[in-house]
Amino acid sequence: MTTLQDKATGEYEVKLGRLRTLTGKPTHYCAGCEHGVLTRLIANAIEELGLREKTVMIDSVGCSVMAHEYINVDAIQSPHGRAPAVMTGIKKVRPDLLVFAVQGDGDAVAIGLLELIYAASRGAPITVFLVNNAIYGMTGGQMAPTTPRGMVTTTTPRGRDLKDTGPVMDASKLLAGLEGPSYVKRVFLPVTPMGSTDLYSARGSLEGAKSVLNAFKVQLMGGFSFVEFVSTCSVNWKMSVLESKRYSFEVLAKLFPPGLYVDKMGVEKK
Amino acid sequence: MKTETEFVKGNEALALGALKAGMNAYFAYPITPSSEIPETLAKEFRSPEYPEFKIFLQAMNELEAINMVIGAASTGAKAMTATSGPGFSLKQEGISYAAAMEIPFLVVDVNRAGPGLGNLGPEQSDYFQATKGGGHGGYKTIVLAPNSVQEMAAFPALGFSLAFKHRTPVLMLVDAFLGQVKEDIVFPKIAQEKFETPWAATGARGAERHLILSLHLDFEDQRKHAEHLKSKYEEIDTMEQRSEEYLTSDAEVVLVAFGVVSRLCRRAVNELRAKGVRAGLFRPVTLSPFPARGLKSLADRGIRKFIVVELNVGQMVYDVKLAVEGKGSVDLIYKLGGFLPTTADIVHRVEMASG
Amino acid sequence: MGQASGLVQKSMVIIDSEVCKGCSLCVVTCPQKNLKLSESLNRIGYHPVEFHYHGDKGDCTACGLCYWVCPDFAIAEVRRLKQ
Repeated sequence: MTTLQDKATGEYEVKLGRLRTLTGKPTHYCAGCEHGVLTRLIANAIEELGLREKTVMIDSVGCSVMAHEYINVDAIQSPHGRAPAVMTGIKKVRPDLLVFAVQGDGDAVAIGLLELIYAASRGAPITVFLVNNAIYGMTGGQMAPTTPRGMVTTTTPRGRDLKDTGPVMDASKLLAGLEGPSYVKRVFLPVTPMGSTDLYSARGSLEGAKSVLNAFKVQLMGGFSFVEFVSTCSVNWKMSVLESKRYSFEVLAKLFPPGLYVDKMGVEKK
Repeated sequence: MKTETEFVKGNEALALGALKAGMNAYFAYPITPSSEIPETLAKEFRSPEYPEFKIFLQAMNELEAINMVIGAASTGAKAMTATSGPGFSLKQEGISYAAAMEIPFLVVDVNRAGPGLGNLGPEQSDYFQATKGGGHGGYKTIVLAPNSVQEMAAFPALGFSLAFKHRTPVLMLVDAFLGQVKEDIVFPKIAQEKFETPWAATGARGAERHLILSLHLDFEDQRKHAEHLKSKYEEIDTMEQRSEEYLTSDAEVVLVAFGVVSRLCRRAVNELRAKGVRAGLFRPVTLSPFPARGLKSLADRGIRKFIVVELNVGQMVYDVKLAVEGKGSVDLIYKLGGFLPTTADIVHRVEMASG
Repeated sequence: MGQASGLVQKSMVIIDSEVCKGCSLCVVTCPQKNLKLSESLNRIGYHPVEFHYHGDKGDCTACGLCYWVCPDFAIAEVRRLKQ
């Protein structure tokens, strides 16, 4: 087994390489977290579109609060849940900019649900990426609106009881029921166990990469785009990294079925 | 006699203290560094030890939470919610409404560094917001400032008592350090108070109906209501000022501090005394009503130097200046960023000021 | 970079070991099993991944799946032989 020198020899070309749109700073995300993967997918899409200097990203509150440390574009901090409103404000006065926010299931589906619904209803030309890991990560593992029935969290220590706490909230279906959005897609982002072999599938990342790019294209064509990434939170679910992928695949992917819910501009056909 | 001390975190002690005081309903929204309060309550919910604790509900944001509290408390129930800076800002609208409608409940603010998202270290920068009415319109609340985990356990009962006695929201302003620190305490054995709530909205069966409102379109009605609130606040000011003094009787310089800073100042006073400086400590326990009478009497007695120590750029210092009425100098030692000053810092600054 | 047999490696994966958190997503995704966590620890205390061109199930094909699943940009580059 050879280990290789870290030096281009002239004989090799870089097929996939370092992105200018990434700052290169090591992330604070936990090992195996989809936030990290999504960061790469977003940076890649911005670079492919050549829009690094025409993009403003919004940090929301949650694990994505430090997203600006990793994605090398202008950034504005939004109060918890308000990112869609902040982005609407930006686009009204600067429609030439590409704007996006990565929001968690607390930021977008709890405290910020009203702002999300109205920005979507208005068809505001902005992009929201929802990282849905069915728990509040940054604050230490409390129940989220997307927490499944029975899941133990620090505010549902005996398992979530839907009778007390209300139903599990499906953000993609909710937005798909509104007239305003142009692109609503749900992607299962984690690596997926594949039955009998010990090989995991990476199709989540590949589907995710396409979806991020499509979401930006929809914004550039003047529509509201939303991609929900069903993800994991191994630390707060108290599982190993690979166990959390399996749990997400077996439970969350069924609760939040991946798919294309709205594509008014037919961007996936192109 | 064996006392059962328990080694408890501040936030947990507060939650358990509220349960022992007979709290009926808690509406939650997590925010660091206050989340242990709802988490403790979630664990104890439906425990046979607290039959009065009937409702635990996690809201979807702090606006939902405060408005749920308003609803529950309007029926006379003992309700509470807890939060930190950004969430406390969201609750101000609700607190303004509740003050106008004279609804009693507890709101805990675990003060972290700010403004904005700030960080998770302790500050006392929500002092203005808490004591000067952080919401719109002219109103006041009662603000309690514990300085130990023991007080974290005891103050919910006091808070509910004051809230129902005066029909007002009561705030607890807790610095982030106190929320997170663990100390040995003995949970006070409190008899749960039953409060009369003749004003509550519970369905007007066989009686005149109760209206809990804050809109008074007729100017004279509004004026009368505002005057009523004014006299209530004056009554609270007369009856409820609370403070604690340490070695002030022969002091030449008095430190003024609340929360965890008062503990550091107490140690600083001891060190200063050992060095021959006649220092003392005045600790406000209620920040609203501000214990001006206690400070004034120190100034009247001849104390000419007051030094306020707080974790902000100077907020309580103004209330101290007003209380002292120009009879002595009032200086400020401050610390920002979520840091605590060390006892040595404080001692050094006092020595420099004493000349 | 020749091998004893005269064949040239068709691809290489450049890894930034110091940012790897040993999550092993690349390890389980690589169809040829070219990636393994090392015995040693990096500066941040994880076992970083190492690239082995001759994997348990075959040689690296520069498919790039490791690059796309890595949450930490530890898989920094996937290079292949110029045609």
